[in-house]
This record gives sequence, C-alpha cells and structure tokens, in this order.
Amino acid sequence: MKQEYNFSRRFFLKTSSALGALAFIPKGVKAFYEEVKNFIVPKKEQLPLTVSINKKSYAIKADTRTTLLDLLREDLNLTGAKKGCDHGQCGACTVHIDGERALSCLTLAAMVPGKEVTTIEGLANGDKLHPMQEAFIECDGFQCGYCTPGQIMSAVACVKEGHTKSVAEIKEFMSGNLCRCGAYNGIVESIQKVAAK
Amino acid sequence: MGFFDEPFDLMTPPEGRVEGVAKVTGSGKYAAEYKVNGLCHAVLVGSTIAAGTILNINTSNAKQVAGVLGVITHLEKPVVPGMADEEKIKEARFGLPVFHTDKVYFKGQPIALVIAETLEDATYAASLVSAEYREDAKTVDFNGTLGFVSLTPAGKDRGDITALNSAAHSIEAEYNIKAEVHNPMEMHATIAEWTADDKLKLFDKNQGVNNVQRTFAKLFNIPVNHIEVISEFVGGGFGSGLRVWPHALACIMAAKLVKRPVKLMLTRPQMFYSVGYRPASWQKIKLGANADGKFIGIHHQAKNGTSVYENFNEGITRVTRLIYNFDNLKAEAATVPLNLSTPTWMRGPGDCTGDFAIESAIDELSYKLNIDPVALRMKNLALEKNPETGLPWSTNYINECIEKGAQMISWKDRKAAHSQNIEGDWNIGYGMAVGAWNAGRGNASAGIQMQKDGSITVQTAMTDIGTGTGISMQNIAHETTGISKSKIKIELGNSNLPPAPSQGGSNGLSSIGGAVVAAVNALKLKLAEHAALQNEAYKNVAAADILLSDKGISLKTANSQFFISYASLWEKNKLGILEVEASSGPGAERQKYAFCSSAAHFCKVRVNRKTGKVKIERLVTVSDGGKIISEKAAANQMSGAAVGGIGMALMEEQATDERLGTLVGNDFAGYHFPVNADAPIIEVAFINKPDPNINPQGSKGLGEVGIIGTAAAIANAIYNATGKRLRDLPITPDKVLLG
Repeated sequence: MKQEYNFSRRFFLKTSSALGALAFIPKGVKAFYEEVKNFIVPKKEQLPLTVSINKKSYAIKADTRTTLLDLLREDLNLTGAKKGCDHGQCGACTVHIDGERALSCLTLAAMVPGKEVTTIEGLANGDKLHPMQEAFIECDGFQCGYCTPGQIMSAVACVKEGHTKSVAEIKEFMSGNLCRCGAYNGIVESIQKVAAK
Repeated sequence: MGFFDEPFDLMTPPEGRVEGVAKVTGSGKYAAEYKVNGLCHAVLVGSTIAAGTILNINTSNAKQVAGVLGVITHLEKPVVPGMADEEKIKEARFGLPVFHTDKVYFKGQPIALVIAETLEDATYAASLVSAEYREDAKTVDFNGTLGFVSLTPAGKDRGDITALNSAAHSIEAEYNIKAEVHNPMEMHATIAEWTADDKLKLFDKNQGVNNVQRTFAKLFNIPVNHIEVISEFVGGGFGSGLRVWPHALACIMAAKLVKRPVKLMLTRPQMFYSVGYRPASWQKIKLGANADGKFIGIHHQAKNGTSVYENFNEGITRVTRLIYNFDNLKAEAATVPLNLSTPTWMRGPGDCTGDFAIESAIDELSYKLNIDPVALRMKNLALEKNPETGLPWSTNYINECIEKGAQMISWKDRKAAHSQNIEGDWNIGYGMAVGAWNAGRGNASAGIQMQKDGSITVQTAMTDIGTGTGISMQNIAHETTGISKSKIKIELGNSNLPPAPSQGGSNGLSSIGGAVVAAVNALKLKLAEHAALQNEAYKNVAAADILLSDKGISLKTANSQFFISYASLWEKNKLGILEVEASSGPGAERQKYAFCSSAAHFCKVRVNRKTGKVKIERLVTVSDGGKIISEKAAANQMSGAAVGGIGMALMEEQATDERLGTLVGNDFAGYHFPVNADAPIIEVAFINKPDPNINPQGSKGLGEVGIIGTAAAIANAIYNATGKRLRDLPITPDKVLLG
C-alpha cells in the first residue's frame, strides 16, 4: 500500500529538466505541468494512528497530509491551538511535544505517535489554572485572545528554558509568537511574574 | 447603615477580563471553531492574472478528487437574488461581485470555490482548478500612476491659502506611505448553515453582527431576523471586519449548493487581498508660520490607492481640520485606481496617514523657527473649539497630554539641534507628535436579565474584538447597580441579542456604555414597579433614587427599612427571569458641542549609523479618552496601538510587483509587523477626566488615537538623532543609510 506511487527521484529529475526545456512554449509547459502534477501529487491516504494528547490516547485514522494542528482543530475539537498562518511564521499553533515547544502547523499528525503532545487544553490541572494562565489574566496579557494559547505555551517553555533574566531576553525568546493587538507589555509582565515565583 | 451598604467586593475574583478564563484555556470559540454536524470545507481558488476576462475554467480535474462535493464558479453557482443582474449588483453595493462576473480586477480574485469533505481534500482539489484568460492592461504601481489623476477639493477652503506666500517660514514637502495590511491573528472565517430554505446561521469573524445580518438579508432576499450571526470571540479586526467580504458570501453560496454546513477560512496569503488594507498614499504639505511660530495656514494634498471596481477615499485630509488653528486652509484629494482588491478602514483610517505628514512638517518647521516642537504645538492647538465647525469642544485635554508626555519621557534631555547625542555607533534622538480623532457615538441597545439570586446578565449584539467591551460593560453595570462583578455575566457578539453598531472608529464603548446605563435604569424602574406592590414608597420613584445591591432593592432617600430583598420580591410577585432592554444614542449635545479624543506620543530612538537600524528605546503615549472605564484594558489598547505605530513607522509595507501585477511577500515572512523584541515596554498614561456630554459614562473612544501620531513621533526622533528627515514610510534601514 505504502509504495503505490511508482515514480522515482530519477523520474522527478527528468520531468524537471523537461519542464525547463519546454519553458519557451508556455502553453505546452502548463499542460505538461498539470499532467505531471496530477501524477506525482500524493492522493488521499488514511493512516491508522495512535496519538497521545494531554495524556489521553486517541486511536484515529488520519489523512497522511493532515498536520497536527488540523488534527487537533478539525478532528479532535481541540481548538485551543490556533491557526494564524499555517506556515510556522506566527506561533499561534504552539504546543508542547515531549515538553518542548513545537509548531503544530509544521508537524504532520503522522509524526507524533509515541510522543506526548500537550495543548493549552491540557495545561491547567483540573479546574486549577496553570500559574502562567493566571498571570495572563491578571496582567491582561492579551486582547483578542487568538494568539494567547500559543503565547502561553511558549511562555511556559520560556520560563522552563530559563530565558527570563531580563525584559530583553524574554522579548527575544517570545518573538516567535506574534501578537497583532500588540499586547506585548502584558505578555512580558506575565512571564516575569511567573519566573519570579 | 443597612447590610446592603456593606462593601461588595469581598467576593470579587482577581481582576481580569470577563472572558479571561476562556481565552487563556483555549475554550473560547472563534468563528471557525464551532462543532457543527455534517460540516464540510471550502477552499477558494484565485485568479492568476491581475486584469482581464475569464475565457474558461477547468473544474473537471477538481471534481474527480475523492471527497469533493461541489465546485462554484461564475458559470455554475446557486442563485443569489441580490446579484441577479447588473442593476441589482450595483444596488447591493457589496463590492466585488464574487462569482457573478467573468471580469478579473486583481490577482487572487476568487474565480472558483471547491467544497469537499475535508480541508485536505478541498485544498488539493482547489489546486487542480485552472482557467484561461484574455489579459488586459493592468497596473499595481501606486506611485507610478498617481500622476494621472487630478486632485479635487476635499471640503471647503478656509480663508485664503495665498496668505502662505507671505509666511516668514514655510515647509513644502511630499510624503509617501506604503500600503499596510490589518492582518489580525485570526484569519477571517465563516461557517454557514442553511437551517431552512430561508433561514441562515453564520459563525463569522466580523466587527458588527448586525451589519452582516443586514447585508445577507438583502442579498438573499430574506428577513433580517432569519439570519443569525454568532461572533462571540473575534481574533482581532483593526477595521478588516467592518465590511462583509466576498469569502463570506462564497461560503453561504457553498452551503446552499451542497445543502450542508460549510466552513471557509482564508489562508494567510489570501488575507492580504481579501479583507481590505490601508491603501498606499501620497501627500504634499505646504505649511507656513510667522516669525514667532503662529501658523498662517496649510495646503494639504493627498492621494490614496483604490481598486478599479470600487472607489475608496481614505479621508486623509480630515485630520488637518481638527487639531490646530489654521486660519487659511486648503485641502485636496484624489484616489488612484489600481488592479488590487479594494482597501478599507484600518486603525486610525485617514487621520493616521494625514497626521504623519502634518506632524512631520510641523517638526521640520520647529527646527527652522528654532522653537521647541512642544512649544510650537502648544502655541497653535485649537483648544477652545473645533476649528472646522466652530462648536466648542465638550472636552479637549490634548495640551495636558503633551505636558504629561513631555514630563514622562524627560523631554528636557532632548538636544535642540540634531545629531548631538552620540554613543558609539548609535545616535540618540527624541521626537514627539500628537493625534486627534472625532469622538463619535452611535445608537445601541443592551438587555439585562436578572435572576432571583440578584445575579444579572448584560447583553448586546456588539462584538468584543479584544478592546475590552465585555469588561467595560461589566464595570459600568457594576458601578451603576452596585451588584458585585462576580454576579454580572456578559453576553455579546450574537445577532439575537439587542442590536448595536459595528465596533469601529473608536465608537464601541462610547455607544454601548450609554445602552448599559439605560438598561440598568430600566431594570431599576422595573424592580421598583414590583417593589411598589410591597411598599408604596417605591411608587413613581426615579431611577436615580433607586439603589440596588447583591441582596435587594432600596431607596437612596429613605432609610433601610424600605429594603426589599430580591428573594422576597421574586416570591411575592412570582417572578421568573426579569428582563429589560433599552436603547441609547447621541442627541442634542451633538449640536452644542464638538467631541474629540486626543493623544500625545513621545519617542526616544537609537539609530545605528553603520547599519541604519532604528531601535525604539522608549515610547510614551498619553491620551485623553475621557473617563477610563477599564484601566488595564484601556492601557493595553494604547500600548497595542503604539506597537502598531512602530510597525507603520519602521516595517509595514505591502510590496507589489508591477510586471506581474501581484503582491509580493504576502505572508509573515514577507510582511513584517512588530514582534515582541521590536517594541520596548510601552509607557501609557491617561488624563482620565470624564467628558460630561458625550455619553452617560463620560468615556471617549481610544482605539484610533493610540496610533494617530506614533509614526510621526518616531520619524521626528530619527531626525533629532541623525539630521535625516525621512518622509517615506516605512523607514527601513536602507532609507536611514541613504537618507
């Protein structure tokens, strides 16, 4: 099942050079490119996966093209991880994989079996908020709240990594999480508060 | 003293926003996050050319993909009555008649929509749609095109601008600002579900649910109340959610076609050409003063980009008429059609752009006059009345903003001449600028539901895009009822709730605050009506004389024996949930007074002489927003706006490629706005004096003034540091080095 596609690296290189050779007749290139694309773009394939998210095990069938982010949001109704760019440029989808911060939009679902994924939904201890969540409320570390779960997941890791020695250091190590509302004052203050504990 | 007079805040939980827990735990649901049975996914296909006609579209490959449920194009689509013919399209004023034309006006314009079982299926199938076009001439080059359009008067002339010819000192200069894109962190998304042939339910990202409701009621020719719009959590807007955009219509059409609920979330690249942007602009200012610094007049000319299918005028010269006394004033404007999508309002629309030019010119003039920029502004501020209408300001503390800001940043440390403050490779400089915004208010409604235990739910259709509408409503309800915050629930962002205006133009709190006060008064009167059956003293009392608490009702003027607990009131009158609704809006005060919010921005920069890097070391923002209802949320608004101002000043630029007619760098790698490390800790202060006339709570809107003037303060600081007068935004390191 897995090796159903019978194209090879050699085929790909050949078609690439053919594309180059045909560059002077745009229409031909286009038609040819369409054919090549139709042939080499992987079709839908479902994989049985067992993933552990927030210490809960899920036995699922996932599209091989599905990112961890889309698995969480579309299939498991865990919408705390946000889609802000889907390109690893904004940090809104930050989760922890085996305790390290990771971008779930750049992680395929098929990559996480055997690993422990923690999302914002798994950060609180039952009804008791994580100190970082409390700090974000107290310091008003958000406005619209869309980047907030990613900020908090990064903030927790930032403290754990020990990157909280100065405002400048916190700012540097939180710069992978964009906030268009510009709530950076409160985000930094929240992290300082938790780091001081 | 009765027990109901006891302090109420013993039980108050730690201070925070009403929706705080939902936001920090990820449980708050944004538009694309609702679980809807039978949901399928739609993905838009954009045109690959910038201008022309679609000759044919090949959707057959896409349709063969497993999981695909349907494809919409201008050739095959469900009926939208409001777009049935050319006439109706014009009448609808919807903007781009998506899927109702074979014309292409900009690159990326939706030409097809693929609906499939999963997002992956739809995304893949969308990649297989192709089209053939006949291409027309196009342009996306604002600066190359602006010479072809002529200026026309923007408002009435004041005095005679030829007076400038006799000015002792004058400045004449041009200013260019690149297009900026809102880019709220949540990409616009809609889930559309037809619950009956003529009933529509939408989970949608927007800044005004009633506006969405009205728009689609008209397009689909169904009653307004047949459309339910739910926008409880909105991941930022900055103006992009003030219009209803083509993708939302596309999603509704898709739901009609496949007879299932459909979700459509724009991709980040699509966000750059689907939901508006601040258009590129050109300005020319001629400003003159007499020898002691009194302004003689100003000639302000401005042009902004627009699309070829709609005209969007930014109103860049509006702010010219607002802040200073110019006895002689002439303003002219024009729009420049380009093969780009239609721009729209973005935070501080028009004013933010115009203010950059004016405040830069004033700073430049101050060096010529050898007068401190603070003193020069103080000399010319229109503090008594609106210079345009002649109406006296209800309140205007812009002078106090300036004084406080100067003190906070220690303005006296600024060197009067440029390039005098040097540390190694770094030049240090100080700059300042002011901004103002016409403070508005709209008609809004709010409802209150009260339970037997004295807890209340305050409701409105207004959204909370992150500005703190919810906590501000809670604060106002708490202050006017005396009921503990922990017993006040807020419900908003749903068209089933009492109607409210869209949340934009700094009108949100100004409008809804009055409605909450009105609803509280209605609640008091209703409770008194019931109480009168138990105690005659409550007959015909005025709302102002009625006191509420967590426990019950009493009268201000009477002693505590008139206290009636909610419990007994509810039992005696056999009450269920007590409901009231009230509206409030502007009135005769608008004929008597002029209203404005204002701010002063002060900046200390470091500019590296070798790399051209500009580092904002300090940024101080002091604003007059009347009474501050929620200090933390308001300060957050202002510091966030300042961060936006840093973006406008130093990095935000929607680049275009004229040859391909396309946007360049339409993602977060190609379009930069400030990350955490790009901004210092922003220093925020308020004058915090209530405006007695604007609304019952005395607050003036803040969202816009936070960014109006920031960019000029930064540019002026760069001049003070380096002697380089940079009039084109964004001021990237190359401009600093070559300037």
